[in-house]
Amino acid sequence: MLTVVFTKPDKWRLYFKRSINEIDLIGINSLPIVALMSTFMGAVIALQTASSMESPLLPDYTVGFITQSSTILEFSPTIISLILAGKVGSNVASEIGTMRVTEQIDALEIMGVNSLNFLVLPKITAALVFFPVLIIFSMALSMFGGWMALYLSDLTTTDIYILGIRAFFNPFHITYALTKTVVFGFLIVSISSFYGYYVKGGSLDVGRASTQSVVSSSIAILISNFILTQLMLLS
Amino acid sequence: MIEVRGLNKSFNQQQVLFDINHRFENGKVNLIIGQSGQGKSVLAKCMVGLYEADSGQILFDNRDFTQLERAQRSEIRQEIGMLFQGAALFDSLTVEQNIMFPLQMFTKMTKAEMQVRCDFCLERVNLAGRNKLFPSECSGGMQKRVGIARAIAMNPKYLFCDEPNSGLDPKTSIVIDKLIKDITLEYNMTTVVITHDMNSVMEIGDNVIFIHQGQKWWEGDKNTIITDDNPEVEAFVYASSFMKEIRSQIQQKRSL
Repeated sequence: MLTVVFTKPDKWRLYFKRSINEIDLIGINSLPIVALMSTFMGAVIALQTASSMESPLLPDYTVGFITQSSTILEFSPTIISLILAGKVGSNVASEIGTMRVTEQIDALEIMGVNSLNFLVLPKITAALVFFPVLIIFSMALSMFGGWMALYLSDLTTTDIYILGIRAFFNPFHITYALTKTVVFGFLIVSISSFYGYYVKGGSLDVGRASTQSVVSSSIAILISNFILTQLMLLS
Repeated sequence: MIEVRGLNKSFNQQQVLFDINHRFENGKVNLIIGQSGQGKSVLAKCMVGLYEADSGQILFDNRDFTQLERAQRSEIRQEIGMLFQGAALFDSLTVEQNIMFPLQMFTKMTKAEMQVRCDFCLERVNLAGRNKLFPSECSGGMQKRVGIARAIAMNPKYLFCDEPNSGLDPKTSIVIDKLIKDITLEYNMTTVVITHDMNSVMEIGDNVIFIHQGQKWWEGDKNTIITDDNPEVEAFVYASSFMKEIRSQIQQKRSL
């Protein structure tokens, strides 16, 4: 399937136009859920960390440091990707699946259009381009959520929290997070497209394919997360 | 002209088409008829390359479709228009965008030229001015007509229609049938229509083949089909009580 997807588009202008549309559909439309999830998860991480800090040996900025490292290393790239697997994955599988069962894909093929390339490549491009943007946005909002929770609860000062966020900051962690994001984005869209494109039957089967695509994408994310962590952080 | 030679097709070791040989004539409406599940849609899908035939040849004006690579097939496919059973319009696009789609993909027409061509096609199917409607806003008959307009947008040499009248009332069915017939004559196309509607057979059946148990069982036209005494063809043609009544009248006339 992927060898057919990654061929030269029939018309570059249409490919770019479709890619922009897909960025809007699977990227921009995901901003509200990512913003909501990130802000509240950041707030909860900060509050939980603060509530567990009983030892006087731990410096105050630890809350900010833990919020920063857990957000950058795991929460934003992995948890948000799992959420996107649900939102974007089901959307992609059901859109392509519906096109399959209503013969729209057959219509494309008979016109002489490479349907896999035409339908899937713009989605993959959109995911690879925009998922990292979403994750950076998520990281920023998560840390903002952490600050907001601590500030409103009067558990620490803004200066100490920012000190914690800056403490032991390793820029490679951003590289690691964005690499994971790109891999997860590719997995989500390609797996969901596969399930949608090869669906047979009717609306029930489209629903089933949509569910299977979310489950498979999520499993693929978890496994690849483990492998990438081994490769990038421990080797 | 499309010629099918020795076509065989099976799914999961169950053969559904057996050694089909037929020549679909240019400038005529060629009908493939038969009961449901006998292999007529499979035959048409093999002909347009949606299914790969196990063996045999499909020749589009002597170009063997089965031997071509994807890119070369794409060139022939641009000469094919197809009307699907459910119209298969792209539901995210308007009527106008649906018709312009193949023009955008495969021609270097300017926006203005595409607009002219689109308006002409819509006019041809009596849908002038419906450019901005979405498929969901169109009736079944309108969707079929938009499907025809999209199919003829590229001036195809070959037109395939998969059950063009399914889900339509008899009057709209006749409109669609006449449109297919007129367009075939106007553009001198090779038109292949898959149907099990006897009204269509009598309306537009220049050439008719009857598929039964995956084989070409019978061949003729709209005049010969009603007088043929092949038992399977007879059972198909005179399946309804209305047609049975017609048959008894024909037989009465013959006996007089």
